Formats: sequence, C-alpha cells, structure tokens
Amino acid sequence: MNIRRLITLGGMLVLAVVLAGHMSTAVGESAPADVIAGEGCTSILVGKDASTDGSVMTTHTCDCGTCDWTWRHVPAADHKPGSTRKVYHISQYKTWPPSEGLKWDLYKNDFTGLEIPQVAHTYAYHHGMFGYMNEKQVSIGESTIGCQRKMQNPTPAAKLDLSMLTLLGVERAATAREAIQIMGSLAEKHGYGFHDDGEMLAVADPNEAWIFEICPVGPLWTPESGKPGAVWAAQRVPDDHVSVCPNESRIGEIDLANKDFFMASPNVVSLAVDMGYYDPQGGKPFSFKRAYSPVEGSAASTNGRIQRLWRFFDLVAPSGKFKPETPNMDLPFSVKPDKKISILDVMTMTRDRSYGTPFDPVQGIRGGPFKNPNYYRGTRVIDHGLAEYSTITQSRAGLPDAIGGIVWIAFGSQDTSCYMPLYAGMTEIPKSFMVGDHWTFSRDSVRWAFDYTDFHVQVAYSEAIKDIQAAQAKYETELVNRLPEIDAEALAHYKKKPAKAAEFLTAFALNNATTVTNAWWKLGDDLLVKYNRLYLYDAEKRGFSRGQPAIPDWWKRAARAFDILMEPDKK
Amino acid sequence: MMIHRRISLSFCAAAVLGLAVLIAGQALPKAGLPILTTSAGQSTDVTTLNIVLDEAAIAYDYCDVPTPEMVADGVGLGGRESGPGFHVESTTDPDKHPAGTPYKAVIFAIGASLKGMGASGLTLDSEEARLKKVIDLCKKNKIFVMAVHIGGESKRGPAGSDNERMIDAVAPFADAIIVTKDSNKDGRFTKIAEARKIPLTEVEYALGLVDIMKQVFQ
Repeated sequence: MNIRRLITLGGMLVLAVVLAGHMSTAVGESAPADVIAGEGCTSILVGKDASTDGSVMTTHTCDCGTCDWTWRHVPAADHKPGSTRKVYHISQYKTWPPSEGLKWDLYKNDFTGLEIPQVAHTYAYHHGMFGYMNEKQVSIGESTIGCQRKMQNPTPAAKLDLSMLTLLGVERAATAREAIQIMGSLAEKHGYGFHDDGEMLAVADPNEAWIFEICPVGPLWTPESGKPGAVWAAQRVPDDHVSVCPNESRIGEIDLANKDFFMASPNVVSLAVDMGYYDPQGGKPFSFKRAYSPVEGSAASTNGRIQRLWRFFDLVAPSGKFKPETPNMDLPFSVKPDKKISILDVMTMTRDRSYGTPFDPVQGIRGGPFKNPNYYRGTRVIDHGLAEYSTITQSRAGLPDAIGGIVWIAFGSQDTSCYMPLYAGMTEIPKSFMVGDHWTFSRDSVRWAFDYTDFHVQVAYSEAIKDIQAAQAKYETELVNRLPEIDAEALAHYKKKPAKAAEFLTAFALNNATTVTNAWWKLGDDLLVKYNRLYLYDAEKRGFSRGQPAIPDWWKRAARAFDILMEPDKK
Repeated sequence: MMIHRRISLSFCAAAVLGLAVLIAGQALPKAGLPILTTSAGQSTDVTTLNIVLDEAAIAYDYCDVPTPEMVADGVGLGGRESGPGFHVESTTDPDKHPAGTPYKAVIFAIGASLKGMGASGLTLDSEEARLKKVIDLCKKNKIFVMAVHIGGESKRGPAGSDNERMIDAVAPFADAIIVTKDSNKDGRFTKIAEARKIPLTEVEYALGLVDIMKQVFQ
C-alpha cells in the first residue's frame, strides 16, 4: 500500500468519526454466533398503571421475512359434551404457494393424531401466526428465546407447537392467568416442541400482563413416562412497570409462594437438576433463564447484536442510566418508566432503529447518502425490516370486552407501515388481511400495499420517510386521537344491544382498513413519481426543471476517498 | 363397520405388520465402534440422535457436514474444529480409539431443513451430492451405514420434496434402517427395506432408539 493510500485511509477513518459525531468502540461487524439466542421477534409489555390510558399492552413484531402474514377471525362456538378438539402441527415458518391454498386452511392437513376433550364454549378470536386477541380481551405477543440444545424435542412425541398452544389459549381462556394455566398444562400433558423450542409469550388481559416462558424437555420424552412434556414459568409484570423480550429469556429467580406474581410447571426446578443445568448445592438460587435459556454477553460486548434489551430500558427509563456494557442477564425483569406510556409511544418503540446510540445503523457512511437503516444491519434493532406484521394489543378495563380489546396491526416494516385497529368484538376481518404471500405480488393483499410503498422509500430513504411519517400522522395518530369518540359511539350501541356494537366496530374497522390500504397504494404511486430516477418531480408545479434529493457533501467526499483507496498500487 | 369387513381389515393389517416384522426379523445387525454421526438434510434430528447415543452410553464423533476426506481421516476428523457453518463434537474415548482410527459405522439422521442447510451454506443439490460421496466412501471401505428417520409423518413431505430426496440419498444404501412408526405410516421405508433387503426396525418414540443402538453397537 502506498503512502497516499495510507493517508487517505487514515483520512477516511477520521472523516467517519467526524461525520458520525460519535463513534463507539462497541460498533463492529458482528457478534460471536454462540451468544445469539435468536434474531426474531420483539415483544413489549406495558402494565395498566404504566400506560397513559390504563390499558394493558403487549406487542409482537413478527420478524421473519419469509413467513406467512395472513390473518383469520374465528367465531365463538358451543360444543356438545363428549366432542373433541383436533390438535395440528403448525410451523411458524412453513408457507404454501397461493395456488395450493392458504396456510390457515392447509395446516389442518398436518393432524398430529391427538384429539383432546373440547370445552363447552370456545371464545371468538383474531389470529395470525399466533392467537392475538379473544373476545374476553385476553391478548398475546411472542418472542423466541431458545433453550439448551439437549432440551429440544423435534420428535412427533411432542404434539403441541407454540402456534397451536396460543390458539387453544385464546379459544379457552377468559383471563391471562387462565390462558397460562391452559397452555402450560396442555403442554405438560401432551408434550411441547416439534417445530418450536424455547419460547416466550406476553399474555395479558385488562388487569394483568405476564411473561410466560416455555421449553421442551428433550427428545426422549414420552407421554407414558408420566413426567411433564414441557417446562414453563410465568412472571407478572408489576402494574406500574414495563418489560420487553427481545429473543432472550427474561424470567430469573422465581418465588412460587408469591402466587400473584409467579406460576410454573411442577418440574421447573427438578428438570434443571436432572439435566445438570442447576446445582442446588451450588449456593445460588434457581434462575429459569440461567438454567434453561442462558445468553451470555451485553449490547456492547456483542457489538449491538443483542442491544434491544438495553435499548428498550434506556428508551423508557433513561433515568436508570442503564449501561450497554451490563450483561443482559443482569438487566432487570421490568422497570417503572420515567413517564407513562401511550399507545403512540408503543407504536414508536416498535419502529425504533437505535438512532443516536452507539449502535446507530446509519452512523458514518453506513446508511449511504440517504441514511437508509437497511443498508447496514450489523446492529439488531427493534425495527429490523423483517416483520411480516407487527401487533400492539390493548386490553382496556372499564369498557365492555368487545370495545375494550384492540389489536393494532401494521403489515410489513414498521417504519413505513401504518397501524390499523381490529376490535375484540368484531365478527369479521378485512379480506385483504387473509391473503397473500412473499413470492406472488397481489393487489388483493394488504401486505403488498405496504411493501409496495416500502420499496419506493428505499431509494431516497431520508427524504421519502418524511412522506410516510406525514401519512402516519394522518391515518394513525389522528385515529388514535379519535378513539374516545369511537369508544363512546360503540358504547352507546352496546347499551342498546351488544350485537349493534359489534356491527358498528366491524364496519368501522373494515372501512378504516380499506381507507388506509388504498392510501398506501396511492402513497407508493406518489413516491414512485416523486423520486423517479432519483430526481424530484413536483406533481403540482409540473415544472421543466426538476430538482434532486440533496446528496450530502460528506458522501461525495467519502466516494472520492474510496476511489483513492481502491487505486492499484504503483510499482 | 360390518364384522367380515373388520376381519378383512384385521387380516390386511396383520399381513402388513407381519411383513414389517419379517423384515425387522432379519435380525438386528451388529456393528463396531468407533461411530460418526451426521445429518442428511441438516435438520435438528441429528441432535436427537446424539442424545440417544449419550443415553445409551455409546461414544461417537459428530460432524454436521463431513466430506469423504473427513470421514476417511477417521476419529477426530483430522483435527478439524468447529467454525461458521461447520460443527464437530466428540465423545469418543481417545484411549480406546485414538485419533485417526477408521470409523466402523456412520449413522445418518435423515431430515431436510432449508434453514439448517442454509446455515451450513448448502443447497439441496449440494447436500445430495455430498451424501452420495460419503456413502460411496463408506461402501468402498466397508463402513456400516445406518439410516435413522425420527421426524415423523409431519416432516416427511410429498414425493420429490426436500425430505424425500434425503431419504432417497441415504436409505437405499444403508445396512440398517431405524424409523419411528410415525415416519413410516405410508410404508415408504418398508418398501425400500424390502427392495434392498435391508433390516428395518420401527420404534414408537425416539426413546426406543436407545435400546436399538445398544443392541447394534454393544
């Protein structure tokens, strides 16, 4: 390497530092693979006294990238004594071409052979990859946490996958506690695993939010063994606290004497002892996460790969001065937020990209001239552009369940999408929510409306995202502000006749979904025109001279520096 | 259901079952140590296989994607270590089987996982080609080949699917096939075993493999 190139390289490094404004040594290429439990979903929980409106909230960013995104509504049903409920294997990841049919019809071809006694009445609910909200306002969010490798049970002896468990939970439970007990006991009896291993569910109702964590017990389990076919624990988030699960087990020490805050399977400690994951003579209390799903490292030590836990606590409680160097296992289960959290705050959190932190994905030249956070994915942020959809559930006391329960859905990447409400009392969901897949473009599918717009944002991200935010303000923020008015109208209908409220809410939400979907198709068209060929076309002025999105000077200098760096050595 | 139909069905079931027993009844073969375990298709079923061997107290080397050269290097796989997309483990007793001791058996856990193959940098075609080369080496060096399928009906898939291609790549060339009953509901392994005269053993659960492994390797 010649002197000129060395100088240039040094100059580039200095330039990068200056441009970024700050450069932490924590930012690097990637973390060692063995400390990463998963790269999937993030789930946030908000207790009723931690929210501005008293609602209990859960979230699920359904991060996959190649999974099914379709939704269904399942109506309530009464069942005759002696009837049974078939149990199916449901893979979170398996998809089918639209020509073969839809997931929520085809999964029934994979019958496990197990039929369990049906209950007298099953509740109505809305579901996507998981059961999210039932007519009693029992709601669910999810995040994969992984487990010790020897605990995995991919054998057919395990009849219950996570998706199936959540469907059974929302079918049968009137409270969060009931849902946990139902899912836990079914998994113990019939075996848990097959397609899934360590998993966390955020389970809530209008009064409580719980973190429920479940793991298989290894592939040699049989139902005839008489032992539980799953191990699980659940811990309640204090009412004035918030918590999060970013693909890491959150439940540490458990106090089963404190029934208001803890539940667990009977083998919760004994299995860890049997499998060698906990030594009762070791002088340390039993910890669920350390035994079954340990994750080593911190946000800093993994160069941001596991920074979501720290980031969340830093976002909601900056006064806590949480440090990115703190090992994740030592971060708290939950915190009291510095200020109460609104539904709009939660929407913003699901869109978080860790801007301005040591793990900023667009610092330096990482995001290119238009600061696109999708170019450099070294940091695993909450909004990683992987979501099939994201959900925010609100369970609201003081309202009839049909009106109080809302699951907000944003299809595609959160930053360019728009949250739309589905009420617990709705009797149908939009048809466009029920179709589509990643490999076949369809104007009938809501998801493609959002992907279409998202695609056109990538061209000049820092500019186009402003157009998106303006649309979000119009179709999302304004709707949130109108909620009290909608509640009041629904309540008036409900007092006359509950079915009328269901009709009103269904019509309202279907109409809103159509309005938003059409707006996003048009937004995609508008962005295509506006940023066409990386110029700026003003559709109103229709002027001869078109502008161009401003290419920052630092980018031009970085490009020149790169040219020099790549010059061949002179002999 | 009418009684004579019940009898006919019972007879058919007994006939099919009898055939399976007859094939299994070729007597479980014996094989020697040391063993290499590996995956055909990179599903997590190979972890189950390793846990079965742990439970049976049978030592083994494990490699997720061994090449013929690695297998030929014998115990210790030529000193190769785990890295991105490549995993090795060993419980083989070096006093009994020092590094370089030729393997006497290779056990394949059949199960296709696109996620697993992707993590190992493999495609279905390259995995198939790799398996063929490894099996060719085993045949040439008279290494005992055992094919295991424990994923069940749900992970089988239709003809020509990823999993079925992995079965075709390994099972017909095995010296013994062990499957869970759920994996052989359509009699696919029975047909392969009959056609190739390979001893086939069915077990109810993965736990049943523990005794089978003890019988074969001890």
